[in-house]
Amino acid sequence: MSTKQGGLGWLFASPYLLYSIVFFLIPLFWSLFLSFTDWNLIAPTFSFVGIENYVDAVQSEGVQSAFFVTFKFMALFVPLVVAFSLIIAVLVNGLPKFKGLFLIGFFLPYLASGVVSSLIVKGLLSYNSPINEVLRNTFGLDIDWLGTPSGALFVVALIIAWKFSGYYALILTSGFGSIDKGIYEAAMIDGVNGWQRFWKITFPLLYPALFTVLILSIGVTFGIFTEVYQLTGGGPNFATNTWQMEIFTRAFSNLQAGYASAIAIIASIVTFVSIWIIRKLMEMWGKRNGWD
Amino acid sequence: MKIKKVASVFFAASLTLSGLAACSTGNDTKDSSTEDGVTTIEFWAAPNPTQQVYWEQVAEEFTKENPDIKVNVSPMKESPTSEASIQSAIAGGSAPTISENINRGFAAQLSESQALVPLDEIEGWDELLKARSMEETIKGWEFADSHQYVLPIYSNAMLFGWRLDILKEIGYNEAPKTYSEMLDVAKKLKEKYPDKYVWAKPDLADPTAWKRWFDFFMLYNAASDGNKFVEGSDFTGDKEAGLEVLSFVSELEKADALMTRQVTDPFETGLGIFTDIGPWTIDYWADKFPEMKWNETYTLALPPVPDGADTEGVSTFADTKGLVVYASATEEQQEAAMKFMTYVYSNPENDLKWLETTNLPPARDDLTTNETFTAFFENNPALQPYAEAVPNAVPPMDNSRYNDLQTFIGQHAFNPIVKGEKDPETAWKDMQEAIEGALK
Repeated sequence: MSTKQGGLGWLFASPYLLYSIVFFLIPLFWSLFLSFTDWNLIAPTFSFVGIENYVDAVQSEGVQSAFFVTFKFMALFVPLVVAFSLIIAVLVNGLPKFKGLFLIGFFLPYLASGVVSSLIVKGLLSYNSPINEVLRNTFGLDIDWLGTPSGALFVVALIIAWKFSGYYALILTSGFGSIDKGIYEAAMIDGVNGWQRFWKITFPLLYPALFTVLILSIGVTFGIFTEVYQLTGGGPNFATNTWQMEIFTRAFSNLQAGYASAIAIIASIVTFVSIWIIRKLMEMWGKRNGWD
Repeated sequence: MKIKKVASVFFAASLTLSGLAACSTGNDTKDSSTEDGVTTIEFWAAPNPTQQVYWEQVAEEFTKENPDIKVNVSPMKESPTSEASIQSAIAGGSAPTISENINRGFAAQLSESQALVPLDEIEGWDELLKARSMEETIKGWEFADSHQYVLPIYSNAMLFGWRLDILKEIGYNEAPKTYSEMLDVAKKLKEKYPDKYVWAKPDLADPTAWKRWFDFFMLYNAASDGNKFVEGSDFTGDKEAGLEVLSFVSELEKADALMTRQVTDPFETGLGIFTDIGPWTIDYWADKFPEMKWNETYTLALPPVPDGADTEGVSTFADTKGLVVYASATEEQQEAAMKFMTYVYSNPENDLKWLETTNLPPARDDLTTNETFTAFFENNPALQPYAEAVPNAVPPMDNSRYNDLQTFIGQHAFNPIVKGEKDPETAWKDMQEAIEGALK
């Protein structure tokens, strides 16, 4: 490649590079710097406090809860969203017509405001909502949806799964498209039934798309904020206190920008390591099943 | 081919430039606070249209009489809270000259970071207090460093609403005033209506800091006669009063009189018969729940007090916010801001206009005696109790760590008591330890 072509390449890449520098790289170094200070961003002076913010953060109840809550969310949200998106993709894929239209329909929740959907859910699950009245009066079920740690966690996971399912179904649908139809025909000749066809052919061959969906959905669990902020405020008893909630509370309610930055750095390390481990495990599974 | 390449380069360059342009705030960076003899001050109004309209009107009238000062009124952003927007603006060097909607706790955080101007150091402060007749009210607003950073605009002495219609059905013609009366109401209510609760409010079990203003502090201020919970870096909570409050709430919990589930309009639907009510609710009810009638469906009362305590002149929590001047303002802007505040508050008609527009009682000593307001309260009898309670209303603590401290009150004491998870002694002890640890 000539120098001129190389220069052109850099030029064409420059919008994204610039975006990455301004919105990712500079904030990253800025956060790193802040995390070693006691600055709140508005005071005229600040002091360097070494690793004090990190030590305090690791010992704090809020950060410890954020750490475990994220994995609990992951355990609930990832299976839910993969199952929902797979069901949507299978159903849409089996349609003779209007696949695109249905996919757009399922994709719409992804575009909906988290604030609005959370407020609607809050209303739907309130004690005196029609849903709860029916459950109570007809089935004798009195469920405190958002008042118990497991209930609140489940509701938040469910809303986010609903929001992302349509989007992930798009990815899985493109995965279906890449499966050779000849394999299905051969399987039909061999007398394979629908259930076997899905689990023995479709599912393993969907691995690249599923891999993408899994990694994306795991990434989502580390960035949950709006739904939790609107529905539970991190409660009850820190049961839904995510990394983002903790960072927000520290930075903007308590004006502890330095401390919040330390939490953000810890959160990013946990996120990176977790995704790296999960990715490696999935790659190992893929290799064992013929995906090199 | 060449044209194609040039076009591509041009396209890439414009994307880069537009990306950079998007990072701009659009603000002109030159210092334009004073130009051609006109001092411009930026005023951030609370993020609601009613208050914005009020400030735009008074700013326009002020500028007509003071052509050398221009007041630009704009609403403060809520992204996601007004406090976060103010913090970002100060950090980004785009703070306004003056803003409203500042509570005492947030002001303490800002003043500790030297982001506010001590108002008592600006010439004209004493005259302003005298002109507005608020020399008594302002005393409770003094900060730990003996300065005044906030000019309170309004003071909502928070009251408890009672469903009078339901109270009458169980044999009470007026709101209970003491703990034992209230526990008796709980007993009679559950006998007649097992599915109803005395206090149905999800916030009771939520540790979010500000929620304690509208439950714990209303009861605590009443039980302790407004004792300060924290002074400087010392925990000064009145243990006896605090235990009375926690024991009382615990008794209500044992009587199945509390409901903390997520619920829609519990007071209005009669699911709960007692809740905190601010003056803003009266207008809301007139619009959304016209069946809520003062002295028919509901009544308002000061918080209940422990048995044997004086039931007159009971202290309560003051939901109050005010104006601050930011330290980034130039001296000319600070003087202009003081001139603007003095203009607005020297004329009681402006406070009347505020009251008519917002229903929020102006923070004045003479609200019930000044003739300017007489007709308003005669026409709005439901707001009269708020005006009467202003002198007994205690503003929030002025500690910069108020957010943590109030979270501890919920987390370690009030919330577990409401859920029946702790006894009052343990709850108070745990809370005190957590607060003292944070204050060190």
